Amino acid sequence: MRTLRGGTPLLDSHCVIRTHDLRKTFRVARRRPGLLGGLRSLVNPILHEVVAVDGVSLEIRRGEMVACLGPNGAGKSTTIKMLTGILVPSGGQVEVLGLVPSRRRKQVAQRIGVVFGQRTQLWWDLPLRDSFDLLRYIYRIPDARFRHNLDQFAALLELDAFIDTPVRQLSLGQRMRGDLAAALLHDPEVLYLDEPTIGLDVVAKHRVRSFLLDLNQQRGVTVLLTTHDMSDVERLCSRLLIIDHGRLLYDGGLDEMRARLGHDSTLEDMMRQFYERTARELLADLEADADPVPASYA
Amino acid sequence: MPAFPLLHLYLTLVGARVRGQMQYRVSFALSAFGQAFITIIEFGAIVVLFSRVPRIAGWSLWEVALLYALAETSFSSAEFVGSALDDFQLRVSQGTFDRVLVRPLGAFFQVLAEELALRRLGRVLQGILVLILALHNLALVWTPDKVLVLALGLASGMVIFFSIFVLAAAFCFWTVEGKEATHVFSYGGVTLADYPLDVYADWLRRFAIFVLPLAFVSYEPALYLLDRPDPLGLPSWLRLLSPLAALGLALLARLGWSVGVRHYQSTGS
Amino acid sequence: MRLPALLALYAALVRLAFRRQLAYRTANLAGLLTNAFFGLLRASLFIALFTSSGTQTTASISGYDLQMAASYTWVTQALIMVVNLWNWWDIETTIRTGDVVTDLARPFSYLGYWLARDYGRAAYFALFRGLPGLLFGQLTFQAGLRWPEGPVAWLLLLLSLSLAIAISFAWRFLLNISAFWTTDARGAGGLYGALVLFLGGFVVPLRFFPDWLQPLLFSLPFAGIIQIPTDIFVGRLGGLAALEALATQALWALLLLGLAQLTVVFAVRRVSVQGG
Repeated sequence: MRTLRGGTPLLDSHCVIRTHDLRKTFRVARRRPGLLGGLRSLVNPILHEVVAVDGVSLEIRRGEMVACLGPNGAGKSTTIKMLTGILVPSGGQVEVLGLVPSRRRKQVAQRIGVVFGQRTQLWWDLPLRDSFDLLRYIYRIPDARFRHNLDQFAALLELDAFIDTPVRQLSLGQRMRGDLAAALLHDPEVLYLDEPTIGLDVVAKHRVRSFLLDLNQQRGVTVLLTTHDMSDVERLCSRLLIIDHGRLLYDGGLDEMRARLGHDSTLEDMMRQFYERTARELLADLEADADPVPASYA
Repeated sequence: MPAFPLLHLYLTLVGARVRGQMQYRVSFALSAFGQAFITIIEFGAIVVLFSRVPRIAGWSLWEVALLYALAETSFSSAEFVGSALDDFQLRVSQGTFDRVLVRPLGAFFQVLAEELALRRLGRVLQGILVLILALHNLALVWTPDKVLVLALGLASGMVIFFSIFVLAAAFCFWTVEGKEATHVFSYGGVTLADYPLDVYADWLRRFAIFVLPLAFVSYEPALYLLDRPDPLGLPSWLRLLSPLAALGLALLARLGWSVGVRHYQSTGS
Repeated sequence: MRLPALLALYAALVRLAFRRQLAYRTANLAGLLTNAFFGLLRASLFIALFTSSGTQTTASISGYDLQMAASYTWVTQALIMVVNLWNWWDIETTIRTGDVVTDLARPFSYLGYWLARDYGRAAYFALFRGLPGLLFGQLTFQAGLRWPEGPVAWLLLLLSLSLAIAISFAWRFLLNISAFWTTDARGAGGLYGALVLFLGGFVVPLRFFPDWLQPLLFSLPFAGIIQIPTDIFVGRLGGLAALEALATQALWALLLLGLAQLTVVFAVRRVSVQGG
């Protein structure tokens, strides 16, 4: 397992996210067949352990923009959920902004922002503006700060055209921009994005990416994003985390990976190469460990 | 800063939801009408039964109406406040509960503030109407302690049913399939409390007094108000225990919810 | 389609619908428990009606003796899922998702398709919800329930039940298909649910209502959904009176199914104009 440190040197090397040997195991009940079996399963279920995250250790410093890549079911979402306090780890340690998410959920929530690509955080039946207003109360944002942020985001993301439209009538791109603004109104120090550009057209993607860059550079927000879109990675991030089968397979800079796999190939090619190589390496590991690779669950 | 920040926040959040509801005016009107109808039907059924027999287990029409009114008012007001708990199982299985964990507020508070079905107010009002009718026709001798018992009885009844809803919702953290079984306690509970306990088998009566305190929603307060002797021969101070029963169940519900959230955070959805 | 092929199709649909329900085992078990509990509550109340006069037990109320009245509650409880009183929105869902367009374009009767499936579903619930419920009632009620006596009674029951399912289906069909023209079919459904409970004799047997009201109540279609099959079961209706009741059921079934078929025609027209 490679854990090379990469990333550009920063002025403030304070760690905002730190995990050590983070683990998450799910116990899935397998049901016995038949009606009697169903009853027995309720009382005495066959439990089947699935390791979703298998010892992930990483450090993310303030102001970094990190991409998290990996196939579906690799454990990316589960890791993010543990970082945001939605899930409690089965083992290992995790600290966000010096706090343990599962123990200080509310304090952590006040200082982070989350955007789920597939599910909105906005109020469906109400105009976008109303969602922002409600969040002002939920996060107890001072009026002046709220106004300042809203004006700035509305300008950067061009929200004015649809800020009074009910969220259910918005297009995916518009809703995503709304979600982004919503996640940042309370000045979070860390922003998690789960597939932010999925389903967006080229123009929308460009808007979102410029916004994120601006956010990172002007406000120093640390950004962690999971994505399948390679151009997201190329345009935004200096550091890559590759997770597969619950393990952190690569942690380093994009340039470094280029250097290793060949300068001329596109990111797609590199990823494919990377997967092929790591598959072989994993197999080699397997033979050495004689320990079966657990099934993925994310 | 408002005087009661949490209350203000709750009202703001449900206000948003209610505004959203108001867009569907026809649907609202129909539902409200439908709800009104159900109460009329249920009370009408009681009247029809009494057209054939003078008393049921020694209780007269208006005495049973009193029980019905106490049970229904408590239940429908709890249902109103706990509107969000209805399809809680949907929230859990669709993963929208995560959203709640990512915000700097208590999870239960947020869930509760997500919904307030205004159409249910109709049933609360009807319950109160039947209550007024029953009390009028019973021509009770009113004393301050009776007023207190009535008020506390209603409040306790509401807390008891609300706690049952919370426990049923917490159940969804473990399994989505058995949700229907919880109807036994909620809808079954209010049906049980609609009629005098004398009607039911011994074991069911004891269950409603000592296990799930449904007797304290309607029966015990009614016994006090009507100055009736307890047919089971139980001590008369039992009738004053409604608030205590409600508190006990509420604490249990609080515990059940916390354990449920913890379980969700361990196992995901 | 040719008749034998059509019959084979309907038989297949019935079987399929039956098998489909077999998958929901835990839900059915939960439902059974709920049914049993409500049965107990209602039966207790009805038994209390007879013993209300202190020590003396009333012999009969509106022609029901104690055993018949107790059986009434258990049979109606068993009947809920068989005739599927409320909360069935399969067709409305297909209208919302748009699948209904393909369904309407198929080369066999749209109405027949759904009716056959309803019978399959009913058969499942009769066996796995109704029967266990009745057995539970049999065990918990002192003298046991009043079951139909003799093959004639059973035949009448079967016929009545089949008609009851058809009437209930027609109502539910109409409610569902109204989704083509209204936005809130479910709201109307809630109203219907309350109505059928009351006027169908579920909450209180229709014969408990004032005598002058009964002819009207029995002429409505709702009586044919719950009251009539239950009365036949517990022996309140037999012989000629039962046949008369069956005739009323048959009339309503034909009328409502005819109306339902008419709405299908309109629906097809709407779909071909609007494109779904």
